[in-house]
Amino acid sequence: MSTRHDGHGHGEAPGEFQIATKVSEFEILELAVRELAIEKGLFSAEDHRKFAEWADGIGPHGGSKLVAKAWVDPEFKQRLLADGTKACLEVGIDWLQPTGSGTPSDYTFFYVLENTPKLHNVIVCTLCSCYPRPVLGMSPDWYRTPNYRRRMVRRPREVLAEFGLHLPEDVELRVHDSNQKSRFMVMPMRPEGTEGWSEKQLAEIVTRDTMIGVALPAPNRKSDTKTETLVSGGRRR
Amino acid sequence: MSAAPTTYDVLMDTLSDIGERTDAGMGCLEHEPAVWESRMQATCEALSSHGVLDNLERRLAEDRLGESVYARFPVQTRSTLVVTHLLMDQKVFTEEELRKRIEVVRDRFAEE
Amino acid sequence: MTAKRKFNIGDRVSVVDKTTLFHHRTQKFTRGQSGVVTEYRPEWVIPEDEAFDPAGNGRKEPFYIVRFKQDDLWPDYTGHHIDTLETEFSESWLEPATSKGKR
Repeated sequence: MSTRHDGHGHGEAPGEFQIATKVSEFEILELAVRELAIEKGLFSAEDHRKFAEWADGIGPHGGSKLVAKAWVDPEFKQRLLADGTKACLEVGIDWLQPTGSGTPSDYTFFYVLENTPKLHNVIVCTLCSCYPRPVLGMSPDWYRTPNYRRRMVRRPREVLAEFGLHLPEDVELRVHDSNQKSRFMVMPMRPEGTEGWSEKQLAEIVTRDTMIGVALPAPNRKSDTKTETLVSGGRRR
Repeated sequence: MSAAPTTYDVLMDTLSDIGERTDAGMGCLEHEPAVWESRMQATCEALSSHGVLDNLERRLAEDRLGESVYARFPVQTRSTLVVTHLLMDQKVFTEEELRKRIEVVRDRFAEE
Repeated sequence: MTAKRKFNIGDRVSVVDKTTLFHHRTQKFTRGQSGVVTEYRPEWVIPEDEAFDPAGNGRKEPFYIVRFKQDDLWPDYTGHHIDTLETEFSESWLEPATSKGKR
């Protein structure tokens, strides 16, 4: 994903993208709107660059690192649960970036929700699409749809079942609706069969969905991809 | 909000390029984000941080317009369509200005 | 940070069912419902003011996380009795619970 080239020019990425492909209308539209906005003085090119660089740097790898580290280092785990925002600094994630006070939609109050044998957490934002972007990157499309947002609070077990997750009756399912300033991430339980794994190996199975709470990590599960996820509409280059 | 929203041909025309929304359930709603999507998010943040278009207002508009005027478009196009739509509603630029700029950008791509 | 909080962790509270024309972030499904305060959250500008003044000069209030029983929120809840939902409120949206939930 991050190996793609910038929208400024096309086809220049080294190596794998030298095959000239049709430029999409959305690539053109995005650039046209951005240029007009800059010309009209709504923001500067520098402002945009700053946010774009930040957006390129974030992704679920941040959260995976946090969880894997917590699994192998009980003291770090305690610090992470006590003050998520602060503990993030230990793995190089600064919630104050890129502006010095966070972004307009990412507040700086980050909390990690620990799953236990008797408690399973899942996150949703019913009002809009609040998401812990500094640790998980951009939210998946489904997370932002009214379909997920409405039903996850009302019929959470059914929605989880659609993701292939069936929880026993004696496990409390706790839905966290992030409607205000707090941002949440789920810390799943370390699965059996990972004894002796390195932090790096562990991080590979802590996928985005396991930190949203719609999936559980497993030794052989390294991707959230369900059935070669389709590119919903849209021609890919 | 009660009046029917304006439609802009310049935006509706992009449907033939991106293709109709094909997802039915949530499991299908997943794709690898393209660079323009991430650049658009940066635009959204820049607009919100300068008080031009608050992120929450934008998100609510994405829900509103995304499920009506742009219901046929894939979900990942919503931010681009809706931000552009709102900026034209706010008369930041006109549809004509946008069309011209699109041609300029298109020509630039063609030259490279 | 040192604001005197009206509620303590463990208190049973109800969400005020007020109609407001102002911007707010209190979900409809929580209005009039009762739950238990589980966490304190930092004092922050309330959404009612923040929407109009992003610079952060609006009125501040302490925030709380409240836990509800899903059975209380939804009469037709299809999950299990132990299931819960947590969400956040500014102080003025909460009042001491008068009854054991309205349903």
